Amino acid sequence: MEKRLYFIFGDVLSNAAIGGLAGLGAAGLVSAGWNMLIGMGIGMIVGMGVSFLALLVFCPFFGAMEVMLPTMLAGMLAGMVLGMAASMQTLGLSQAAGVGALIGIGAMLAVFMFNAKLQGEVG
Amino acid sequence: MDLVTKEKWDHAAAAFDLMSAYGPEKRWAPRKRELFSQMYGKVLFLAVGTGLDIQFFPSDQDITGIDISTKMLEKAQPRAAQYQGKLELLEMDVHELTLADNTFDQVFTSCTFCSVPDPIRGLEALKRVLKPGGQLCMFEHTGSHYFPFNMLLNMMTPLSRRFGPDMNRETVQNVERAGFSVTRVTNVFLDVVKMIEAEAPSSEAPA
Repeated sequence: MEKRLYFIFGDVLSNAAIGGLAGLGAAGLVSAGWNMLIGMGIGMIVGMGVSFLALLVFCPFFGAMEVMLPTMLAGMLAGMVLGMAASMQTLGLSQAAGVGALIGIGAMLAVFMFNAKLQGEVG
Repeated sequence: MDLVTKEKWDHAAAAFDLMSAYGPEKRWAPRKRELFSQMYGKVLFLAVGTGLDIQFFPSDQDITGIDISTKMLEKAQPRAAQYQGKLELLEMDVHELTLADNTFDQVFTSCTFCSVPDPIRGLEALKRVLKPGGQLCMFEHTGSHYFPFNMLLNMMTPLSRRFGPDMNRETVQNVERAGFSVTRVTNVFLDVVKMIEAEAPSSEAPA
């Protein structure tokens, strides 16, 4: 498990940022009254696209796979949830970004826990 | 020589250190030091790239480092010059190793077999240059067995392989398919980044 504060800070920052941006993008693109599945699908694509930003912005500072995989998950989940939510009701952009950031941190914690389970010698 | 792969990594050399020299290397430093601390005897290191891994080599070793890319090796030269030991850099394609059979006690790789176009043929070449019972020590990223990571890595691979590595290689299985005995696999991050240790057969099986 990663215990160095610099990398823990980087993980929180990158996942919150990607989750927030994915939420913002999804809520900005999807309007209330749209089909929920279409909203979710658009949100997912937006989230995946935003998470590619992580490769360029965050990987050079905080790591490769350790940044790439959690942020892709964070972007995808935040985009899906906020895209679906935006199809059901009008969302404020700051509200969408905040919820997206929280989803991003949640995704990061889930990856942390799964990683802890898989760590070490196999078999 | 595989000129397509060579050209790809020559292009990648320009921005390679910008993307990899700080975050990824700092993140992996403790585990790479742990793996490379096992070096002894005559060592082949594949692929040395811009030489970012040289900082983790224990001193006073006898190491031959190879890479397919001229541009990568040009960047590696200053780092190799600072190494406190014997370190020779050669431009070579792992598929066409011009090194003699049974030469090395150990082969080390670092994020290499995500990029070798024919990994089993490449690993067989490493087996040939290893002495019987010689050790293969790898620090590699591979595909994952777990959803959603396997899906994400599979989705990324068609894009990532245009500019760099594949993200979904089955490297542990490929090591076995090439005729090595895997002795230890240690997960570094999820089941994606891992250290793989294996042994070449102690002698050729009778015909």
